[in-house]
Amino acid sequence: MTEPLLSVRDLQKYYYEQDTFVDTLLGRERQSVKAVDGISFDIEPGETLGLVGESGCGKSTTGETLLRLREATGGAVEFDGENVFEMGSAELKAFRKEAQIVFQDPFSSLDPRMTIGDIIAEPLRIHDMPVDPGDKSKREWRRDKASELLARVGLSATQLDRYPHEFSGGQRQRIGVARALALEPEFIVLDEPVSALDVSVQAQVLNLLDDLQTEFGLTYLFIAHDLSVVRHICDRVAVMYLGNIVELGPTDELFESPKHPYTEALLESVPRPSTGEQGRRVDALSGDVPSPRNPPSGCRFRTRCPKVIPPGDLNIDQEAYRAVMDLRDALVVGDVNPDHIWEAADPERVDEEAFIEEARARHVDVELRGAVASVVDAALGHLADGDVEQTQTVLRETFESPCEIRRPGVGDTSHPAACHLYEGSDEVEVIETTADAPVSADD
Amino acid sequence: MAEPILKIRDLSTSFFTEEGKVNAVDSVTFDVEDGEIFGIVGESGSGKSVTALSVIDLIDSPGRVTGGEVWYRNADLAEEFRGSRPEAVDGDFVDVRRLPKGVRRSLRGPSFSMIFQDAMSSFNPSITVGEQIAEAVEVQRRARANPRRTRSRTQGYGLGSAILDTFLPNRDYVSNKSMDRAVELLDQVGIPDPEDRAEEYPHQFSGGMLQRAMIAQALAGEPDILVADEPTTALDVTIQAQILNLLRDLQEQEGMSILMITHNLGVIARMCDRVGVMYAGEIVERGPLGDIFENPVHPYTQGLLGSVPDIDDPSDRLEPITGNVPSLLESEMPNACYFADRCPKAMTDCMTRIPEYDLDGRHSVRCVLAEREYDEADALEQEVMADD
Repeated sequence: MTEPLLSVRDLQKYYYEQDTFVDTLLGRERQSVKAVDGISFDIEPGETLGLVGESGCGKSTTGETLLRLREATGGAVEFDGENVFEMGSAELKAFRKEAQIVFQDPFSSLDPRMTIGDIIAEPLRIHDMPVDPGDKSKREWRRDKASELLARVGLSATQLDRYPHEFSGGQRQRIGVARALALEPEFIVLDEPVSALDVSVQAQVLNLLDDLQTEFGLTYLFIAHDLSVVRHICDRVAVMYLGNIVELGPTDELFESPKHPYTEALLESVPRPSTGEQGRRVDALSGDVPSPRNPPSGCRFRTRCPKVIPPGDLNIDQEAYRAVMDLRDALVVGDVNPDHIWEAADPERVDEEAFIEEARARHVDVELRGAVASVVDAALGHLADGDVEQTQTVLRETFESPCEIRRPGVGDTSHPAACHLYEGSDEVEVIETTADAPVSADD
Repeated sequence: MAEPILKIRDLSTSFFTEEGKVNAVDSVTFDVEDGEIFGIVGESGSGKSVTALSVIDLIDSPGRVTGGEVWYRNADLAEEFRGSRPEAVDGDFVDVRRLPKGVRRSLRGPSFSMIFQDAMSSFNPSITVGEQIAEAVEVQRRARANPRRTRSRTQGYGLGSAILDTFLPNRDYVSNKSMDRAVELLDQVGIPDPEDRAEEYPHQFSGGMLQRAMIAQALAGEPDILVADEPTTALDVTIQAQILNLLRDLQEQEGMSILMITHNLGVIARMCDRVGVMYAGEIVERGPLGDIFENPVHPYTQGLLGSVPDIDDPSDRLEPITGNVPSLLESEMPNACYFADRCPKAMTDCMTRIPEYDLDGRHSVRCVLAEREYDEADALEQEVMADD
């Protein structure tokens, strides 16, 4: 295997809330939002690595942090063998020449008061290029280069003196690409480059990116939420969820035999534009993505996972277990209100059995049997007394999943998945950062 | 086949802007059957949202519906207006556009209802979600008690009403009964702990939850037709799957028809029974889902389908449509097929306005290829588009 061009190790980016001077004076504790929480991957020269995930999973932050457009909280990024986070300003400037970015929004990423020619030539001007302009002035050289680039991305060189507002979204995105190419970089971060575009224009830009990669031998980090686009353009794909990479593998392998339950659910959810899709009912993941302010303990995905692992000594089918776990999560986030249940079951607050029945009807919509049912009923009995904490404790004693105790690590194979279901992943244990270790969700 | 619930005939909507007249919707014709989901798909600027707004009469200045008919099947209304406005009645159908303004307005809610793309900006951030849904219920309740006198809340939010509220505490527009119904609706759309969530403000909801709340609000009037304008575009795929499941369940439970507007061909494929493809303000092709996806006739439909990367089979190269979506300024619209300048199969025949050809009673298309084969001898000289 060749040396990777870019190698990311344990990259972390936390944002802090309540972190101003006034907050310190008032003695407020600062709160961390773990946008990116310890991710590692390599990018080989000439390949396209896709980074996919839903909004808020930290994929764009990853792209910006590894280019040092944002300061990382921890970890290391090596580009061509050099640590990006330890570079001095001269080295950093040299690095910026090799690593460029194309942003998502073609409307806000181009200065409305500059002409297209100036926009594309600006990186050249900043880096004082060219060193030797030959018989032209530097300015002329840069202008010629800009028109050459403009032609390369499929626009007309005669449009050099126009302003961004005169172009459509797809054309502006081409301009953004031309600007990124101006310094002849080796590596480009493409941050959702086509998600603001209509499908017909999106396909044009994707083809263009593909051609440019072949022509200039570029390496891409392709950040996207659209899985069909990722499948089309990437060699390998990393799937992110709540600041972690949950699975990483060669594109075809990952799409054809996904390992992580989250990847499976993502792929399942995508509506396919074909007649076979008609009326297809997807087993949608329940609930929302939890807040990165207080992520779940252990596996981040366990609150929505359809394959959450029951404790070894418990005899329970998956559907019932998921329902019980949903009840526990609902108790944690405060979605269970005993007063409302009493109101519906017995406003006099006497008939505890009616309460338990109503609570089960509301919050556990599957039939529970045997020992499981009696534990749940006992717990709901505590809820009837208004003791939410005791309810949680009783449920935890019986139903605590290995997924909430330990955080699964990413194995070291060619197609790792951070999930306890896969052997090997258990051995690598990620140590939670002690400073602000997430509170166990049951506390 | 049963009679459709809605028949749209030659509906046109224009916007009168400083630059000139923009024909956003250009004689659009389609039917919505009882209990079906009819989809309209197109790129941005193709006029699909304006079509939806025109159908339920929500076009605002500088726009105006300039022509066409919206036939809505409602036997009671037809009976009521048969004498006074015979031109607006045809069998069980009434032409909504020719009804008096008050009646048109009273149809919004019990007949037509709408959900929008951006739930966050569709709710009032300073009123609880429950109250906003209860308000929709209350309007319907009062309307039923006193038909044709729908008056939305009169309460303002200025200093004056703040002072009045202090002295007259019982000025609430919304009754407790409506509030209970709002909680029921929230429960129906799958919001956990609806009693508490009803008391919360929109910013306390996640995007998916707020979309559910907006659907609850749209259901308040028990509409016959729900217009869903890009209902899942702002959502992540896993949440999108939840909302699509919910819409389908509700459609089956309530037996309503849905007019679904989206740019996502995958959503169309999953949800719709029949579909219309829009381009430059026109429906260029429409028919049952299978016909449109398997045997598209219009080169635009073919191009649109060819542009979408297939998640299950990554072909090497996408086949996009060249060029960009045209401007819809009337002065710049050619007297030709609007797609001719981007069309790979443009012929000399395309230089006139193309009528809608009916292929087999269900599938119709606005393209000369419905009548003849492509012939290179007739190919139109394509000006090389410098821009692309």
